[in-house]
Amino acid sequence: MRGVWRVVARREFVERGRDRGFIISTAITLLVLVGVIVLTSVLGRGTRFDLAVVGEASTAMGDEIVTAAAALGIEVDLLEPADVAAAERAVDDGDADAALLNGERILVRSNPPEQLVAVIQAVALRERSREALVRTGLSGSEVDAALAQPPLPVESLEPLDARRRENAVVAFVGVLALYGQLFAYGYWVAAGVAEEKASRVVEVLLATIRPSQLLRGKILGIGMLGLAQLLLIGVVGLGTARLVGSLAFPSGAIGTVGVVLGWFVLGFFFYAGLFAVAGSIVTRQEDLQTTMTPLTIVIVASFFVGINAVQDPGSTLATVASVIPPSAPLVMPSRIVLGEASAWSILLSASASIAATVALVPVATKIYSRAVLRSGRIRLRQVLRAERP
Amino acid sequence: MLELIGLSRRFGHVVALDDVSFAVAEGEIVGFVGPNGAGKTTAMRIVLGVLTPDAGEVRWRGAPVDAATRRRFGYLPEERGLYPKMRVLDQLVYLARLHGFASDEARRRAERTVELLGVAERRRDRAETLSLGNQQRVQLAAALVHAPEVLVLDEPFSGLDPVGVDVLSGVLREQAAEGVPVVFSSHQLELVERLCESVVLIDRGRVLASGRIADLRAADPRRLVRVEVAGAAPGWARGLAGVRVLEPLPEGAILELTDHAREREVLDAAREAGEVRHFSVIQPSLTEIFRRAVQR
Repeated sequence: MRGVWRVVARREFVERGRDRGFIISTAITLLVLVGVIVLTSVLGRGTRFDLAVVGEASTAMGDEIVTAAAALGIEVDLLEPADVAAAERAVDDGDADAALLNGERILVRSNPPEQLVAVIQAVALRERSREALVRTGLSGSEVDAALAQPPLPVESLEPLDARRRENAVVAFVGVLALYGQLFAYGYWVAAGVAEEKASRVVEVLLATIRPSQLLRGKILGIGMLGLAQLLLIGVVGLGTARLVGSLAFPSGAIGTVGVVLGWFVLGFFFYAGLFAVAGSIVTRQEDLQTTMTPLTIVIVASFFVGINAVQDPGSTLATVASVIPPSAPLVMPSRIVLGEASAWSILLSASASIAATVALVPVATKIYSRAVLRSGRIRLRQVLRAERP
Repeated sequence: MLELIGLSRRFGHVVALDDVSFAVAEGEIVGFVGPNGAGKTTAMRIVLGVLTPDAGEVRWRGAPVDAATRRRFGYLPEERGLYPKMRVLDQLVYLARLHGFASDEARRRAERTVELLGVAERRRDRAETLSLGNQQRVQLAAALVHAPEVLVLDEPFSGLDPVGVDVLSGVLREQAAEGVPVVFSSHQLELVERLCESVVLIDRGRVLASGRIADLRAADPRRLVRVEVAGAAPGWARGLAGVRVLEPLPEGAILELTDHAREREVLDAAREAGEVRHFSVIQPSLTEIFRRAVQR
């Protein structure tokens, strides 16, 4: 029967998906994620002030203060207490950060909130200048025209990307997630292969299906679970950010989740065959750490290059590493998120990954088929040279 | 008919199988016997396609066996293997599905098989929590869950208690009665004798003898006598002319009579040595045939 790998994949997905350890660790990840997003949104809730305005002059200035503050990215909410005494109480209780009394005095509790005070002073200065000019006999419209001067332009030597910092954080989280996910699920492939070998169940399986079908099913089943978990984390993360209306919610976040998912698929399939080989050449599961060492080194090194690429996505190291299949899944995503990767380099990198995977799978399957039924110490060279099973 | 034709296989310099041929008819139970390392497991693995032969082939109903055919075979490997953390019933459903059954049918068959092997009450437990004997039963269930056309069992009786041996013997007889060819290896030759009409005797990768046990016995030219004597001095039979002690018993021995030795003379000697409790001319047991064949 063709498609028997689907039965294998389904077992991997279901058995591992209902493993208590898996469920608990996924739940913890989600809790931490939701917690971090909610916390950042509460703590990082931009600059926001409550201003009490008393008296007609104050009320007239209130709207101008709100507008002027908004231009600087500061949110100001107006309170209108009945009289000065009520305004004083509001400031004293902390309900208001400051009070503007009759357009003449600013009242604060102790340390003045500098940004708010600066905005009020600017608006007040403008108002009073206007009144002074009107008193000299100029008409209101002439005064307004004279005061409506454009602000000084700001020029920066490097192109300014307002989202750069936020994107770097997102890219870092993406690299971290990819690193964890590639490692965890690659390890599962190796451990799954080693478990079947050590428990000898593999002989029962191989009396029924071919090694290539078993391996394909295992890799696809585990890969699907990894993708599903990542998707769940992404959806919950985005959903939470949306709900709490977090300001730290870059519009590119959905795109980033897509990039991470895509590179998980490319990276996982590249590494999965190699992890399967690492699992197939051990006799006891305890030896897995040893045979996985070369893979561990490559992934950890790629991870560090990936972290580095978050800081400096345009460096030669990052550029080169982002197209080499072993490191691409951990380096390319940050370059994409930070807008450093050109379309053709992304295409080149993805194609190289796919090509390398296609080239590796038959070799990995061959070694796996030969090694998985052998016990004792296995040398790779010996397995490659050896006769068929 | 399941046929093994001229199977040869070496591992490096070790010849595991050297031109091994034998056949198992449908409905026949064949015992596959031989010393450790004789090549039994290698031959069985080749039948199941787990190993490939250097030469020779396996045929089922006249056609060479391929992957699709093998999925209808049942196999109990020498190295038992179950998923330790998977529930008993789930493993059997999974294996039935690998053998090509749809989900519902696979579940029905798994339920039926755990009933058959007496492990139904453990079907929701993880395999690792079962006793070795019960794991063995689950392993057998794994070989039987897809109602195989052919059964190949490597040491199916090892590790079973007498009740388990009876259950398995019954299952094998039922399978054979339904027309399934059954071949199993075992070192418990009395069991083989009870269960099989035919045996294949293998040593160092070569078939030494095969056929009906009755024919092998008839072909054995030795005259054997079983004597039990109470109160005899140990070694009383050793000095008798033309008599060889084949196997000492607690109070007696199985003797091989060569050349001119006569049963009557042996009986007289036994009477002189002590009180004769038992004296009979016997046919060689499978154990005797096995020893003789392997010694050569």
